[in-house]
Amino acid sequence: MRIEELRERVCAMYPDLCPLFSIEFGDGAISVPLERVHSAAADLKEMGFDRLGMVTAVDRGEEFEIVYRLQSRDLRAGMFLKALVPRSDPRVPSMCDLWPAANWQEREVYDLFGIVFEGHPDLRRILLPDDWEGHPLRKDYVDERIIPRPDYI
Amino acid sequence: MSSLLLGILWGVAGVLVIAGGAVIGVWWERKVAGHIQLRYGPQQIGPAGSLQMLADVPKLLFKEDIVPSGADRPLFKWAPLMAFAPVAAAMAVIPFAAGWAPFDTSVGVLFFLAVPSLEVVAILVAAWAQRNSYAAIGGLRAASQMIAYEVPRTLAVAPLVLLAGSLRPTEVVAAWRWWWLPLLAIAFVVYLIASIAEMNRGPFDLPEAESELVAGYFADYSGMRWAIFMMAEYGAVITASLFAAATFLGAGWPFSGALGVVALVVKTSVLVTIVMWTKWTLPRVRQDQLLRFCWVVLVPATLVQLAIVGVVLPWM
Amino acid sequence: MAAIDELAEFLERTPGGGILLTTVDAVMNWARGKSLWTFPMGTACCAMEFIAASFSRFDFDRHGTIPRPDPRHCDVMVVAGTVTRKMMPAVKRIYDQMPEPKWVVAMGNCAVSGGIFYYDTYSVVRGVDEFLPVDVYIAGCPPRPEALQDAILQLRKKIATESISKRRTRPLVSDLALPTDPRKGDLLSAADADEEDEAPATRSVSA
Repeated sequence: MRIEELRERVCAMYPDLCPLFSIEFGDGAISVPLERVHSAAADLKEMGFDRLGMVTAVDRGEEFEIVYRLQSRDLRAGMFLKALVPRSDPRVPSMCDLWPAANWQEREVYDLFGIVFEGHPDLRRILLPDDWEGHPLRKDYVDERIIPRPDYI
Repeated sequence: MSSLLLGILWGVAGVLVIAGGAVIGVWWERKVAGHIQLRYGPQQIGPAGSLQMLADVPKLLFKEDIVPSGADRPLFKWAPLMAFAPVAAAMAVIPFAAGWAPFDTSVGVLFFLAVPSLEVVAILVAAWAQRNSYAAIGGLRAASQMIAYEVPRTLAVAPLVLLAGSLRPTEVVAAWRWWWLPLLAIAFVVYLIASIAEMNRGPFDLPEAESELVAGYFADYSGMRWAIFMMAEYGAVITASLFAAATFLGAGWPFSGALGVVALVVKTSVLVTIVMWTKWTLPRVRQDQLLRFCWVVLVPATLVQLAIVGVVLPWM
Repeated sequence: MAAIDELAEFLERTPGGGILLTTVDAVMNWARGKSLWTFPMGTACCAMEFIAASFSRFDFDRHGTIPRPDPRHCDVMVVAGTVTRKMMPAVKRIYDQMPEPKWVVAMGNCAVSGGIFYYDTYSVVRGVDEFLPVDVYIAGCPPRPEALQDAILQLRKKIATESISKRRTRPLVSDLALPTDPRKGDLLSAADADEEDEAPATRSVSA
């Protein structure tokens, strides 16, 4: 599916979000408000995006931006679904009911960012030891164990 | 000499034969495995690495002896010997030369088929004594596999006994004719496959699956204890191949006397190499596929073979 | 006590036993060097080079070295790859399960010093010698398979200097790590080890 066709179909689905559609890395990207992210994901899955490739997050200072990468084999297209999550209360509805692959992906995001996924069947740390304190990929993560790289190397 | 002393001497001789066989077997296996994988096996000690065991054995003998805490100590210590004894006993009834076997009984073939079944007990004891859940799973798998494959193994030897008219191994060798081999081809193949599965070798070695169970039922055995298990396994390979060479391939045929013994050894070596070849070529078979293969393929094949022999028998 | 300890003590006591002791030492060291069964503790990319070293082009079975999957059967643990703080207790536990005499080869930059992950990381153990007594270090990222074979040969030379009578004291975690240095991280102390595999603070074994 060509990217313009994808843009048309997404715009037909969400006319108010159409100006927010952008093209990143050759795939379409759309940013939705947090309360609509689950229904948007369900609609995109119905449109044909049957594979959740990746869930990740970016620390944007005031908020986290959670990024879902969706892929469709039949449509031969890819789509980024993004949402902004407030830093003070980072809770996002879980996508495990739509794509089972979201289970470990969301555990990783929880582990490294501290974003809580509501409705996740088994939310606990996956990469770091269970008794770790803090969420390392946040910009304000401080750890005395880190040796910063000197400039002269 | 008193018969007790004679029995002890025979026992020691049997142990030495199996130990020697294990030494040669380990070397041969490493070379065969190496060359199948396009590499050389051991090369450094002795010609073509044949004396590699000279380094392995002292190393294994003087390793620290670890008994896991909570393990059943007497069972743990006796399990390797329990695994070794049936193999040594089974070797006693094999007719090495025409008209001679170390233990020539009228039920020799039955003895040979039944006694290695005691390995199942040894493996269950070994698996249980370690207090290690993965070893226990490996042991149970091994036990179920061995018990299942007893059936085609026994049924494969049955046509041989029918044709020979006797359970005495020396009589079976004496009655052998060259045209028995094509007639009993199915039985021969089934016997070989079932023996490989009996010994937990080759493509049927899921109980010792390395990537799954980390050596299965001998996971917690270190040093010499493990070496005894290995000796028992190679001893079983040699024993099964010796029996197949003696009964299905006609022992010393077409030679007799000392040359016949040499011929028997050559035939055994070929069969042992085939067993090792199978191990290093075929991928491991899953547990349910393994059991299914036994019951759905091998047992009907033996029944077909029995039918064939049953048809031919009145013509003899 | 193992049989070989009694043999060593007997040889030391008898007059003129020193000659036999050196002969026995030479034989045992030769045997142990020529039959080093490795436990491939492969956590990362160096494990690929380890596997390559065991396959047809490089083949360390020629040296008598077989990779065995079970630590109870192994002499050498080759730590090939990065060890994270979460993985460290598992590596230590497997090291504890190996029977003496045992050696450790740190393969690759990450096992030697933390490698590329020395700076700017929060969860990599900076070198496996923080919790294991390493005998041979192999530098490289990843080292060539020939480097691993060279390490086996160097290990043989090191084994040749050992003796069945000299008692070798192997320190464990709490002795090696400096828990007061925050950059080294809070490593697992011996008290946290599983009750089953509890070891004394130092372990005296004969070589």
